[in-house]
Amino acid sequence: MNNTAIRPKRWTFFAYLIPGVVIYAFMVLVPLVLALRYSFYKWSGGPKMEWIGLKNYQILLQDEKFWGAFINNLLIVGFSVIGQIGIAFIIAIFLMNKWVKWREFHRTVIFIPVVLSSVVIGFLWSMIYNNDAGLLNWLLTSLGLESWIKPWLDDPNVVMYSVTAPIVWQYIGFYLIIFMASMQSINGEVYEMAEIDGATGMKKTLYITLPLMKDTLKIAVMLCIAGNMKAFDSIFVMTGGGPGNSSTVMAQYAYDTSFKAFKLGYGSAISIGIMVLSVGLIMISRLIGGKSND
Amino acid sequence: MTKLKTLIPRILINLFLFIMSLSCIFPILWMIYSSLKTQQEFNTNIISLPTRLNFQNYIDAFRIGKMDTYFVNSVIVTVLTVVLTVVISFLAAYILARFNFPGRGVIYFMFLAGMLIPVHGLLIPVFVEFKSLGLLDQRITLVLPYVAFNLSMGIFLFENFIKTVPLEVEEAAAIDGSSTTRRVLTIVLPMCLPVISTAIILYFLGAWNEFPFALVLIKSPELRTLPVGLTNFNGQFTVNYPQMMAAMVIVVLPVILTYLAFYKKIMQGMTAGAVKG
Repeated sequence: MNNTAIRPKRWTFFAYLIPGVVIYAFMVLVPLVLALRYSFYKWSGGPKMEWIGLKNYQILLQDEKFWGAFINNLLIVGFSVIGQIGIAFIIAIFLMNKWVKWREFHRTVIFIPVVLSSVVIGFLWSMIYNNDAGLLNWLLTSLGLESWIKPWLDDPNVVMYSVTAPIVWQYIGFYLIIFMASMQSINGEVYEMAEIDGATGMKKTLYITLPLMKDTLKIAVMLCIAGNMKAFDSIFVMTGGGPGNSSTVMAQYAYDTSFKAFKLGYGSAISIGIMVLSVGLIMISRLIGGKSND
Repeated sequence: MTKLKTLIPRILINLFLFIMSLSCIFPILWMIYSSLKTQQEFNTNIISLPTRLNFQNYIDAFRIGKMDTYFVNSVIVTVLTVVLTVVISFLAAYILARFNFPGRGVIYFMFLAGMLIPVHGLLIPVFVEFKSLGLLDQRITLVLPYVAFNLSMGIFLFENFIKTVPLEVEEAAAIDGSSTTRRVLTIVLPMCLPVISTAIILYFLGAWNEFPFALVLIKSPELRTLPVGLTNFNGQFTVNYPQMMAAMVIVVLPVILTYLAFYKKIMQGMTAGAVKG
C-alpha cells in the first residue's frame, strides 16, 4: 500500500481526493447534521424557528399516521421477501435446467422492468388497474371472473396489495440474476456426486442449492429490506398515499408533512426516524441471519 | 411411461416460464403499441393492435405536454451527472486503492457508509440546505445530489478494479519520469475501461429515472426532468390514455434501447455488489 515509487506530489494527491470528499460531505454529512438540528425545532420554513427540544420525537413516537406508514413499509417488505425472492428463486431453479427453451430470452425479458423508471411503472399499473380501460379487469372478464373485479386503487382494504404488486413485479428480475449467478458458481461436481447417491431434482434443490446459497439469500433479504423501506415513486404516482392514509408509506408521509403541511421541523424528525428504522431493520435482519462471511 | 413422466413437468415448467416472461413484457408492449392508437380506437377496444400507425400522440406530447423541454433537461442533468461522477469517483478511488495515508480509514468508511444510509431520508434536509443556500431551482441543483449519492458505488467499483492493475507497470513508468496524472491517463484508465463503461450505464439509468429529489428540488417547469414532467402531464390529460402512454414511451425508450444494446453488462453491473457479497 505504501508505494513510495509512485507517490504523487502533494498537490496532485489532494486534487484527486478532495472533490469527492467535499461533494459527499456537502450532500450527505451536512444534511444529516442539519436534519438532526431542525428536528429539535418547530419550523415551517420561514424565519421564525422555535426550539422545542425533544417534543417532535415525543409526537413521532405516538403518531399513528407515522407508525401506520411504517406498517405499510413492513407489509411491502414482507410481500417482497416472499414474492420477489421466492418467485425469483423458483424461476432461477427452473432456468438452470438445460432442457428449458429460450433461457436467455426469459432472463433478459424478466429483467427489463428493473431498469425502467418507477414513475412510468406506477402510471402503467394505474392503467392496468383502471376500472373501464384497465388490462386487469379486461383479463378477468375474458377469463369469466367478472365477480373478482374490484376498485383496485380506491378500496382501502385492497389498495396496499394493489400498490405492492407492481413493486414485487418490477424487481423479480433483479433477484433472478443474483440467484442465477450464485447457482452457476456452485461446482457441478457436487451435483454429480449427489446424483450418484440418488438425489433427485427437489432433493438437490433443498439439500445442496439452498444451503450453498445461504449467504446470497441473506444479502438478497437485506437488499430487499433496504429497497422497500424507501418505496415512494410508484405509490406516489398511483395513489399519493390514499384513499385516506391507507397506502401511505414513510417517505410519502415525510413528503406530505414537509411540503404539504409545511412542518419542516417535524418532517426532519420523521426523516431521522426513517433512517433509524431502516438501518435498524437491516441490522436486525443481519443478526437473525447470523454472521455471514462476507 | 417414464418418458411421459419427465415430459409433462418439463412442458409445464416451460409454460410457467413463458407466462412469467409474458407478464413482464406484455404491459410494456401494450403501452408501446397503444400509444400509436387514437383515443377513440383505444376506448373501443383496449387490447387490439392499432389499425394504422398514428404518431399524433407523440407530436402532442412534445408540443402541448412540453416533453421536449423535459427531455432536454433530463439529457443535460444525466450527462453532467455521469461525467462528473466518473471523473470524481475514479480519481478518489485511485488514491484510495494505491496509497496509505493518515485518515484513509475514515474516508473509506465514510464512503462505505453511503451505501447504507437510506438516501431518501436526506430528501428534506437537502431541500432545507439548498433553500438556505439559494441552490434550489438551478441547472446544477439535481446534479449535486446525483453525483454525491453515486460516489459510494463508483468508488467501490473502481477501487476494486484499480487494485487489479499491476503496480509494476506504473512503477516502471514512474522511474522513467512520468507524472501521476500521465500514468493514470495512459496506464490505469485504459485498463479500467470495462468497469468505467459499466459505471456509465448504471449512472445513466440512475440519473434518468430519479424521481423524489427531482420532485422536491425543482419547481420551475423549464427545469423539470422527465419523471416529474410526466406527473405534470398526467394532470392535463388524465383521460387520454394513448396520449399519456406516448409520453411514458418517450421516458422509457432511451432506457429500453440502452438495455437491449448492453443487457449483459447492465445485469452484471447492477448485481455485482450482491454477487460478490
